[in-house]
Amino acid sequence: MAIAAFITKRLIQGVFTVWFIATATFFAMHNVPGDPLLNERAMTEAIRANVEAKYGLDKPLGTQYLIYLSNLTRGDFGISFTQENRQVNDIIREHFPVSAILGVLAVLFAAVGGILWGALTALYRNRIPDYLIMFFVILGISVPSFVIAALGQLVIVNMNSALGITLFPVAGWGTLGHMLVPSMVLGLGTMAYLTRLMRSSMLEIVSSDYVRTAKAKGLPPARIFAKHQLRNAILPVITVLGPAIAAITTGGFVVELVFAIPGLGRYFVQAVQQLDYTVIMGTTVFYGAFLVFMVIFVDVLYGLIDPRVRMS
Amino acid sequence: MTPLLKVTNLAVEFSTYGGIVCAVRGVDFELEAGKTLAIVGESGCGKSVTVQSMMGLTPMPPGRLVSGSARLRGEEILGQRRVQGKEVRGAEIGMIFQDPMTSLNPTMTIGDQIAEPLQVHRGFSRREAFTEAVKLLELTKIPEAQKRAKQYPFEFSGGMLQRAMIAMAIACKPSILIADEPTTALDVTIQAQILDLLQDIQQEIGMAIILITHDLGVVARVADEVAVMYAGKVVEFGKVDDIFYRSAHPYTVGLRAAMPVNDPSRNHVLSPIEGSPPDLFSPPAGCGYCSRCPEAMEICATEAPPTKALNRGHTSSCWLQQDGAPHPESLFFNEERL
Repeated sequence: MAIAAFITKRLIQGVFTVWFIATATFFAMHNVPGDPLLNERAMTEAIRANVEAKYGLDKPLGTQYLIYLSNLTRGDFGISFTQENRQVNDIIREHFPVSAILGVLAVLFAAVGGILWGALTALYRNRIPDYLIMFFVILGISVPSFVIAALGQLVIVNMNSALGITLFPVAGWGTLGHMLVPSMVLGLGTMAYLTRLMRSSMLEIVSSDYVRTAKAKGLPPARIFAKHQLRNAILPVITVLGPAIAAITTGGFVVELVFAIPGLGRYFVQAVQQLDYTVIMGTTVFYGAFLVFMVIFVDVLYGLIDPRVRMS
Repeated sequence: MTPLLKVTNLAVEFSTYGGIVCAVRGVDFELEAGKTLAIVGESGCGKSVTVQSMMGLTPMPPGRLVSGSARLRGEEILGQRRVQGKEVRGAEIGMIFQDPMTSLNPTMTIGDQIAEPLQVHRGFSRREAFTEAVKLLELTKIPEAQKRAKQYPFEFSGGMLQRAMIAMAIACKPSILIADEPTTALDVTIQAQILDLLQDIQQEIGMAIILITHDLGVVARVADEVAVMYAGKVVEFGKVDDIFYRSAHPYTVGLRAAMPVNDPSRNHVLSPIEGSPPDLFSPPAGCGYCSRCPEAMEICATEAPPTKALNRGHTSSCWLQQDGAPHPESLFFNEERL
């Protein structure tokens, strides 16, 4: 089947992409001055040699690279330098689901919101709802997420004290209440961007010949909207969804930090600061693979919606 | 007997950045059941706006219906969605457009698109409607209709798409089919096929056709009656023979003279109508054709000519047709080549 061949082809391309990411990160990381052991307490030459031998840092860089690749193919990301004896695999297994849930909720919120708001602005073009929504869109695009995060917390605090109960927790993780506000904050910028995209795409479709045909057929407006306008207007939005997922999941660490969410983003940033080689590699390669997979997923989704892509 | 459709004094204007455009300035015509009416005229004379405002397809705003009525079997349809319990659009009046390539939804199968009006107006189930859609594709002479119905527009050629459009427009057996330049985007052989198909279907289900075109060859071939439009008005209306053999308006005469002749033995030079149509931002006080008319008189510039009935069903809006007006040679010529 055509679609299976398409997916296989994209997966093979994806493996090469991930390999390239891993290689580039590996050599770039080793070129940064300093090494992960610098942060440790002063150690004698002998101890340092022992530790370097334990992590394989005494071998030439090329050999280290080959060892790393062979471990990688077995799905082993190694042991963290800074958190003693902790497997990078464990760090990812523990913290990625948190980031993933946050990211998925944010993307859902952004996509659904963006598509609906965008369609609405187009249908009410140059009228009050359009101006109002577009004002918020400009705000959403230009205000950075940590400001919105802080504002979000402020709103939660005020709401909770006004109601006298804890409707939404201000920070932390665990229940749906914890997830809702941070994911909205995280998705807001993307939602604003998607709204703008959807608006222009929808405006083009509203005045298209086939929408006129649909009207001439006497279809009710709701049906024209659902079957003729929305589906065609969504196509350009779907194409940017892949990069949008990338932006949201990797950009999540600011929001994770503000809301004290135990996600992967924190480790990502800490590892770079401390030159924790294995954690840098692990999180980068993992995120890289995740994003490549998401882009493939979006391409398949595009094919499902647009028959012209599916069949060529 | 009341005609199937009677349009009186229809006027539509559009507000644009440049001001208000009076696109249609008082159009009258009648259409009898089962007949074909051709509306001819050059680009921008208001042909499409006339029928699209009848169908409620002109966006308002920026468009505005200034005056007029359009009565289907005596009942007003302007601004009405339903007449006598039937939806006007799609059920009573079907419509096909100029460019079939862009007039169909690219992400929906042809069969589903033809089935839609049946589901909406007739209450057919999805399956019933689809079966009927296949039959309609067969009626419009599309081979392998069963297979074709499951395909998407990008898998069809232009001529096939126009056939599919026709199938869609006639799905609910409308009493009128409006064809807005249905063959302009198609090549000549396909044009002929589409016109034949329209006539076949007209006989089969007995609908009337309003055909918008600027091709007089097409008019001569299919029309029973002709409305010649210029600058937002119908300047001459009559049976096809009246229009071609007893032209009673200098514009009609000019159009006929401008038709190319396929005769290599004669050394013909195309004779266009000089000049361009008037600016409809500020329509002329008198006759719209005055500035280009070889027979123009002083009164033409200042007063709009009244519509005068000549024979049965033949009317002309020209001062030359009024009593006591001069009778220039050019107006009543009967050229041998026609």
